[in-house]
Amino acid sequence: MATRAPQTAPAVPALAPERAVTWPKRTRARLSNGLEVVLAEAHSIPKFHGELFFRAGEALVSDRSVGLAEMTSTVLRTGTAKRNSRQIEEDLRRLGADLGTSAGQDTSAISFAGLSEFAEPLLELVNELARDASFPQPEFERERRQKLEEVKLERTSPGFLAGERLRKILFGKHPYARISPTEQQVAAYRREDLEQVYREIYTPENALLVMVGDFDPQNMLGIAEKTFGNWTGKKPAAQQATALPELHGRRVYLVHNPGSVQTQILVGCHAITRKHPDWIRLGLTNSLYGGAFNSRLVMNIREEKGYTYSPRSGISPLRQHGYFFVSAAVRNEVVAASLTEIFYELDKLRSVAVPAAELSDAQNYVTGMFSMGLATQEGLLSQFATVELNELPADYLETYRDKVRALTSADLLGAARKYFDSANMPIVVVGDRAQIEEQARLFGDTEVYNAQGERVE
Amino acid sequence: VTRLHIPIDSSTLNNGLRVVIAPDTNAPVVTVGVYYKIGFRLEPQGRSGFAHLFEHMMFQGSENAPKMQHIKLINSSGGVLNGSTMYDVTNYYEAVPSNALERVLWLEGDRMRALKVDEENLTNQRDVVKEEVRVNVLNQPYGGFPWLDMPPVAFRNWANAHNFYGDFADLDAASLADVQKFFRTYYVPNNAVLLMLGDVNPQEAQALAEKYFGSIPAGAAPPFADPTEPPQTEERRGHVQEKFGPLPAMAIGYVLPQRRTPEWYAMVLLDQALHGGRAGRIYRELVLEKQIAVEADGGVDDVFGYNGPSQMTTRILHKPEYTAEQSLAALDAVLREVQEKGIGQEELDQLKVKWRSDYYSTLEGGRGGYMPRYGLMHLLACFTLFDNEPLLVNTVLEGFLAVKREEIQAVARKYLRPENRAIVFRTPVNKDAKEAA
Repeated sequence: MATRAPQTAPAVPALAPERAVTWPKRTRARLSNGLEVVLAEAHSIPKFHGELFFRAGEALVSDRSVGLAEMTSTVLRTGTAKRNSRQIEEDLRRLGADLGTSAGQDTSAISFAGLSEFAEPLLELVNELARDASFPQPEFERERRQKLEEVKLERTSPGFLAGERLRKILFGKHPYARISPTEQQVAAYRREDLEQVYREIYTPENALLVMVGDFDPQNMLGIAEKTFGNWTGKKPAAQQATALPELHGRRVYLVHNPGSVQTQILVGCHAITRKHPDWIRLGLTNSLYGGAFNSRLVMNIREEKGYTYSPRSGISPLRQHGYFFVSAAVRNEVVAASLTEIFYELDKLRSVAVPAAELSDAQNYVTGMFSMGLATQEGLLSQFATVELNELPADYLETYRDKVRALTSADLLGAARKYFDSANMPIVVVGDRAQIEEQARLFGDTEVYNAQGERVE
Repeated sequence: VTRLHIPIDSSTLNNGLRVVIAPDTNAPVVTVGVYYKIGFRLEPQGRSGFAHLFEHMMFQGSENAPKMQHIKLINSSGGVLNGSTMYDVTNYYEAVPSNALERVLWLEGDRMRALKVDEENLTNQRDVVKEEVRVNVLNQPYGGFPWLDMPPVAFRNWANAHNFYGDFADLDAASLADVQKFFRTYYVPNNAVLLMLGDVNPQEAQALAEKYFGSIPAGAAPPFADPTEPPQTEERRGHVQEKFGPLPAMAIGYVLPQRRTPEWYAMVLLDQALHGGRAGRIYRELVLEKQIAVEADGGVDDVFGYNGPSQMTTRILHKPEYTAEQSLAALDAVLREVQEKGIGQEELDQLKVKWRSDYYSTLEGGRGGYMPRYGLMHLLACFTLFDNEPLLVNTVLEGFLAVKREEIQAVARKYLRPENRAIVFRTPVNKDAKEAA
């Protein structure tokens, strides 16, 4: 022991009285064309952050092809009626701005951040991208080729292979099952497909503009009205719901990744959306299971046993359905041992009520983390957007901490029993088959896939 | 441009511990950091990876807070904690609701005073670190590229050139005695800075620093390995196999001018001109225009956070139909253009605006959504430990805004030369051979 001066053990200092957590006031408005706007001041730095969301993404168009919404968002920034690709990038730099375009299953978005002094020209550029993107043919062809390389590359990442397999198992024929296109699908993309997606999704009725930063909200609202006010367009037609597969028993899905020196484990089951009344209690239950450094899973398979570096669990809240997952990259010799512990901790939460002290620690963690977002413009933006996009109550942020604090051990036991369906959880393992198959088969009937996603056994 | 005036209190305790306080009551959150002036570069020979392994040990227990307590006390106070090992510093940091400030200081003080770990903890964390290396390097396409591949090619001094994550044999050789010795040598208050940022009252924070750190005895001034490199006289090249990824890759690193000299300011702006995202000359030319590369990025990593030889590094993944030499020739053409023609005034103006804007963002955030003020903390720590001048955060921007076009062209000519660079080629192994293995 490297002790220097002997000391009597002082007690751990108590927590001081809490300072009030106050969320900035939001200015909510609807522009003359129906575009919803949410604004909030945050003067931490002389900048502002914004995001123009569209309430549809891959899921809406995945029956046409996979990845079309993302490809649309990628090519979107490469040209407008007024500016070519190079001008767009240089103009951003001139304004000290960053801009990103993206599409997920349920939303497409243009995110941006820049100096407050250049708010007006930055919004004008965002406006052009949202309304007048020109999808130049050469830019489209280059991005398609880039995407082809990306699709080949992602198949060499164990995390991707595990996620792809789990999503297929959980979502079957639902669009959420398709997370990435094949090379053939990418090769078959056409520029016209992107334009079609753009016309359907990128409309003011379908949009939400959130901005947070160093500005006066009334002034910023004026700029938004002036910039976006005369843009028109309808919401896309709603899509039909697709049923999810029912999962019975434990099956193992082994994805053979030759040469792997470690095994990626991913286990999961259906869960709920953010809008669901159980969201907060399931969130707290998850944080106690594997959602924090101090959680049971991390303490068990990392701090006690040293099987893995970064085990974790979480709930992915897609808009129509959520799912729960447990993930760990472990050394090949302890695949079975790790799975045993993963299920042991799940079952323990399903059978034994959480002790009061542990519950209160987890409540502190979850409420404390919730307040961290207050300190940055980006953190605030993300919280405001979550509330709006998920149609949560207007006082969601203000009441969240009290709701977490009101939860009891019985609430957590109920959540674990209802949602941690350990007896029917599919198990995905990605690794070198020869090194892990025997261990994997201990947990159920086993299907074997190659890294291309094809079933080989 | 108005001058920044982030309020900063800085002082030194009797035991040599520097204390830096930056109050800001916007949100009821406080960020605490302790930086020790020890990193990869200074770990003992035969113990590659030790500085990082040691960082893990700092979470394994101290005199009054046994294993698991560090993590538990911070998480259960509503906060997060982590640490990281860099070339010349190792940091430990927490972001917590401000009512937990005293508890955090107690914990950091306890582990600065007396680390208390045993053989079982060491075995456990050695296993964890090996899985960290596997998940980040050995089992990932392009894992560790180029940050682990470049140093042995670029540098000759062991301090700069060894495997920072550690050879597994070296990790296995690390003993509890090594841990204790390292702690006694480098983890002394006179080799550290304590930072408190956010929702703190400076007088109270200062008193708490005195209370929890003031009685920790100072140690002997730690010995520092000399990181000086012998002069380089020709281009250096190295080759590494890529086990998983399908595309050929290369990294090209140029040694940087001395930190905080006029040449260095110019070089950092030149780096922006070359690597500044999609507007940067390298991405524009190699990915957008010539379409040789699929990825072309990089630059100066952690511009203020090093205190020895460092590089501006370009990372390229190129299409298989082009040879490595063709890709390199395309990069050279971009560099030659700056050397011959310099950059335009308008481009320089844009670069400065972007640099200023990025700098503000660095101060506000910097590490994920859950570590507010990480960037400001990091800058304050490095300016304190390397420059003894924390107030540089308010003035360093001016050095970049003063750079002139001629200076950029001059550093391009002086530094972007073959005898100042190293190249690592990371080439996919033959797929058929891999399947057969």
